[in-house]
Order: sequence, then C-alpha cells, then structure tokens
Amino acid sequence: MDNYRPLIGSSVSDLDTPCLLIDLDALEHNYGVIADTYRDTDVKMRTHIKNLKSPLLAHMQIRAGGTVGGVCAAKVSEAEVMADGGIDDILIPNQVVAEDKIERLCALARRAKVMVAADNADNLRALSDAARASGASVGVVIEVDTQMQRAGIRAVEQGVALAKIADSLDGIDFKGVMSHQTLPGHPDRETRFIEGPRFIRKTLDVKDAIEAEGIAVEVVSAGESWTYDVCATIPGVTEVEGGTYALMSHAYAYMEDFRIAAKILGTVISAPRPGVAIGDTGSRCLGSPSGVMPMVDGLPGVSPSSLHPTHIALRSDGDMPLSVGDKYMLISGQQDIMVNRWDQYIAVRGDVVEAVWDIPARGCHN
Amino acid sequence: MERPIFKPIGSLAEDLDTPALVVDLDALEANIEAAHGRLRGAGVHLRVNVERHRCPAIAHKQLAAAGARGVCVSGVSEAELFAQHGVADILVASPVVTAPKIRRLCALANRAAVGVVVDSADNARRLSDAAQSAGVALNAAALIGGGEDSGGVQAGQPAVDLAKAIRGLDGLRFAGLARMDAGDLSLSDDESRRRIQETADTAAALASAGIDAQSVSVGGSRCIELADGISGVTEVVAGSYALMDGRHSDALPNLRHAARVLATVTSLPEPGVAILDTGRKAMGDDSGFPAISGASGGADADTLQVASMSAEHGKLQWDAAAAPLRIGGKIWLTPADIGACANVYDYIHAVRGGRLEAAFDVSARGLYR
Repeated sequence: MDNYRPLIGSSVSDLDTPCLLIDLDALEHNYGVIADTYRDTDVKMRTHIKNLKSPLLAHMQIRAGGTVGGVCAAKVSEAEVMADGGIDDILIPNQVVAEDKIERLCALARRAKVMVAADNADNLRALSDAARASGASVGVVIEVDTQMQRAGIRAVEQGVALAKIADSLDGIDFKGVMSHQTLPGHPDRETRFIEGPRFIRKTLDVKDAIEAEGIAVEVVSAGESWTYDVCATIPGVTEVEGGTYALMSHAYAYMEDFRIAAKILGTVISAPRPGVAIGDTGSRCLGSPSGVMPMVDGLPGVSPSSLHPTHIALRSDGDMPLSVGDKYMLISGQQDIMVNRWDQYIAVRGDVVEAVWDIPARGCHN
Repeated sequence: MERPIFKPIGSLAEDLDTPALVVDLDALEANIEAAHGRLRGAGVHLRVNVERHRCPAIAHKQLAAAGARGVCVSGVSEAELFAQHGVADILVASPVVTAPKIRRLCALANRAAVGVVVDSADNARRLSDAAQSAGVALNAAALIGGGEDSGGVQAGQPAVDLAKAIRGLDGLRFAGLARMDAGDLSLSDDESRRRIQETADTAAALASAGIDAQSVSVGGSRCIELADGISGVTEVVAGSYALMDGRHSDALPNLRHAARVLATVTSLPEPGVAILDTGRKAMGDDSGFPAISGASGGADADTLQVASMSAEHGKLQWDAAAAPLRIGGKIWLTPADIGACANVYDYIHAVRGGRLEAAFDVSARGLYR
C-alpha cells in the first residue's frame, strides 16, 4: 500500500512518480455540470462511487448539488466505506447472494439507507429472512436487463412477478427498478439521444406494468454518464447512475461537456534510441483491460507504442521532446480500473498541490 | 483497501468471501522446488522477482530455497518495502534517474545490499556522485536491451563500454550484466535463447577485456527452462513461476497453477448464462481473460467458459444441460497474469488441502514509485 504525502504547495514538476493527479478545476467543472443539469429536474444524479472510491469525492458532488443525496456502490464493502465516510443513502446496483454477505448488507442497512438490486425470487426471500432476523429494512430494486445481457430480468412479466414477491415480504422494502446501458465506440449526441431512451424504455415498461398491479414504484434508476443529459429528458426516470463523468477517460472524450480530471504523472527513465522514451508508468498503475492504451496529454505527435507491467514506451512522430528525467502526463482509457490501482489522489490546481486524498475503497471488490 | 469477511483458520477454501485471491501452498512449494531445483542443477542462481506477487511472506519462502539469491524489484518504494521485511539483497530492475529517488536508493544502501540497473553513462555518473555524497556504494549492473521498445544498451561493445564507464566511477561497484527482456513471453524460444546467448557472449567479451562480471542475469520465468546449457549465465530473474498464471502455462508446463481467484455466481439470468461477482477490477486482467479451473457443487469446469468480463462482473457461458450451476455457487478462475492480479489485492489467502492456513499481506501492492 502506498502512502505518498507530498507537501501541500509543491509544484507538480517536483512530485515523485508515478502518481495519480486530480485536476481540481476540471473536477469542479464536471460537478458543476451535474449540479446545473439537475437543478430543476425531477431526475437527479446518484454518483457511482466505483469510479472514485472516495466518500470525500461523493460529498463534494452532493454539496455541489444535482444529486439524490446518496451514491451507488458496486459492492457491499465499497458501500461500507461510503457509510463510514458519512454517506447515508447507498444503492448497490448488483446482486448480493452469499449468506454472510447478506448479513453484512443488513448490518449496513441498520446505519444507512440501503437499496440492493435483485433479479431472482430466492434471493428476495434470502434478503427478507436475513433482514427480519437482524431487524434491518433493506430497500430492493428489480434489475432490468435492457441491452447488456448481463444480470437482470429479461421479460417485463418477470419484473412484475418479482415486484409482487418483494412487496409481500417483510424485512425488505420494494423501491422500484434499475438498469444499466452501454454504447460502444464514440457515439455522437444524436445517437445518444436515440439509443439512450430506446434502451431505458424497457425499464419504464417494467415500472408501468408493476404500477398497473397497484404497487408503487418510487425509484427508477437508470443510465450512466453517457445518458446524463438524455435521462433529464425522459419522464419517469428518477435517478442516473453516472460515475465516469467526474474524472473522465479518453474513451469518454465524446462527452464534450466534461473535462479530463484524472491524469497519471510519469517520468522518463531511459531514452535508448532517437524518437523513443521509456517512462515509469506501466500497466500496473494504469489498468489496461484487454490492452487498452492510455493517451499522452499535451504532447502532440507523442503516443505510447507499447505498455509493459512497470514501464511504457513512448514514440514521437518527429523529434522526441522528452529526455531522461522529464515528466509527462497520461490519460487513462478506463478510469475506474485505473483508480482501483491507487491509494492516494494528489489534488492539484494548476501546477500546485492543493491536497492529498486517500482512496479508502480501493480494492473493495467484496 | 480490500475488506473481505475474514474466515477462521481451517475454513474451507470455497467458504471464503469473494472475490478472493487464494494460493495453494502445496502447489507453491512444489513450484519453488521444481524451478529452483532445475536451476541449481545448472549451477545458476534464481533472483526472485517479487513484483509478480508483492508479498513478503511468499518472497521469504522463495528465498529460503537453495540457490535463491536476493530479490528483484521494479522500483525504489518496492525496494524499501522488502528491505523493511528483512530482505538483504535487492536489485532494482529499472533505471533510477531523479535526484530524490537516487537519494532514497543511497539511504537504502545503508540497510541492504542494493543494486540498480543502469543504461547510460550519464545516469551512472549521477548515481556515483550521490552514492559518494551519501558515503555508500551502490551495485550497478549494465542493463542490456534490444527490443524496439526496451530500455538498455545493445549487447556487445555498447554494453562493454557502459561497464567500463561504471567501473571508472568511485561511488559504484560494477555488478555485472542484466538482460530483463530475455524471457519476454512474446518472443520465440529461439529469440529468447539468442538474447540469453548474446548476454553471455557480452560477459565473455568483458572477461577478455579483463573485467569480471560477477553476475550475468537474464529475466523472465521462461528463462528457467531456456538458460540451461548456456554457459556464462549466473542468474535467472524470475517471479511468475512460483504462483503461475495463464500466460506462462505453455512456457512452464511442469509447474502448477498455485494462485486462483474464487468467485461467486450472483445471477443466472437466462439458460446458459451465469454472472460472477468478479470482473476486471478483481482479476487485474490487463493480459486477457482468466481461465476457469473449477466449480463448486459438482459442476464440470470443462463445460464453462468466460464469455466476457466487465469492470465488476464476469460473464460465463455454460452448458445448462451438463452443469448444475446455482446462484451462490463458487467458480475458480486462473488469472492470465499473476503480477497484475496480485497487485489489486491486499490479502492472499493461503490454503493447504483445501483449508485456510494463513492470510498473507500483499504489502507492496500499489508501490509504483
């Protein structure tokens, strides 16, 4: 575990590398976009903390505005860290099935408002039994698969059947429905506004069918960063599960309203031949699922040619502007996987370190 | 930090909270015996590349095996960690170039025998100056490269020239030659052997110039198989051999997959599809998907395959007729790259005979500086 504590006020050029930087101006801009977008809308942001792993960064968005006042957490242990950090409204948009983990979920539900996603009747009964035994009340949303073919009910009738069961069981509190959506590549705005509502429609169909049975649906949680603005135009959606928007990645650069706020700072450690620089930032610290490469920030013509566990090779179209000892910055292709490899954010404004923030939910896969 | 539900010693491995990185101690010990034994027979030392698991408890098991000689680390903070855990001989396998890091390296040299690879005369001078100011001597090995994207100097005369430059500096002790990319898994066996031979030939050229290369190191676990019979190599730097992973299966067919990740089936949303609680974040799958090596409740692992991985989930395809999977059932995943996988965990659960024997700290997890 790293514990890097550079002096506040240090210059970025004096930092030890590799380190993970947050550009505070960009972060505050991104949080402001969310606050502005949802200021007067019924739908609000529920920031997905799997991207940030920090209760502080959750509180900053909640204070900035535009949120439901809580977060999404991918796992029970991640939710615990959020509750420890003072977040009292948490949705786990995944299934919790192991007996001991359900007990842990119930313990959490005694100190925070907790919702969990279910897609199976036996799981609802297990949640109910454990919640009753522990005296907790656990909110439940039915997960709807809208296009990802991952977890979630496939047919509207399945959702209605589960909602009826959830509504009838003690210990659990039926809250509503949730779903995730993805779009590959770099869709333009028009595509997002066509595909987003099309995918989310199924979630609303399930909501309508449940309500037709006389069961109230309070929560319709849908969307991601790429539908943050789309969801603001879809009546019935109550909250958006966006995470990437906060720190961003180059794969999400098509979301032009948001700025890149997370960067990895590296140092050139070798210049073995003209046009090639070897840096100290490898795949271990960047996260490189399926080999996705980072981009070099602010050095036109310089790009990674290969990524190794503990170093990166950079090449230049023309003269290599980087020499041994020089610093450079990289932008990740998959931001949440990158953050999960780090213990501290070095928060900078311009060229100056303003704060060092721990990442306490790093590694909370359980 | 990872927050598993810890289980009592003696618990069944399949009762561990998931995702969990689990090491079978019998398999680990067999791999250490096999790999170290192989090199011992060839008169070659094994320097343990601890970057591949970042776990002092496992490192000490490797160091206790006959023929082991010190550890290799990727950076200064990792070196500091292993020195703190009692390791006395540490080679930093990347050039150390910035002044603050060089000072840390020199400070560490008061507490352990510290070596570092060097690939330029300029860097050698800076290291020497700092070592002299600090009143220590650093061991410096000439780093040989060769790949298009590798650091290091070319084998042969450029390496000989660098060795001479190192020898001429008062703050450095010339430690020999290091070729860390010899066993790169992207290379053919022939190219790997060629790189090893070229390194040995460079040592011979040094000897004829009257310079003794105390250590001639080649890096990569596959060199355990390939360095045999190439005279002049004194040391193989290897790490993945101990825990093994999918990438090394072909190169090291006699070693066992000692490290696996235990996952739980959390959803069976349609026939033939199972969703796991273990995705890219918990596999560290920079080098590809994991392989399925086991399933609880009598399910046949051969009827399961990984269809896709997303950040938080794995998705399996399964033959619904053959494999009685259930929600809550456990699946064993063999990581493609143990170095990437261990680096996302804070604990390694050590089991013997299917029961928990210890929980090891992955103390150097996240140390990149």
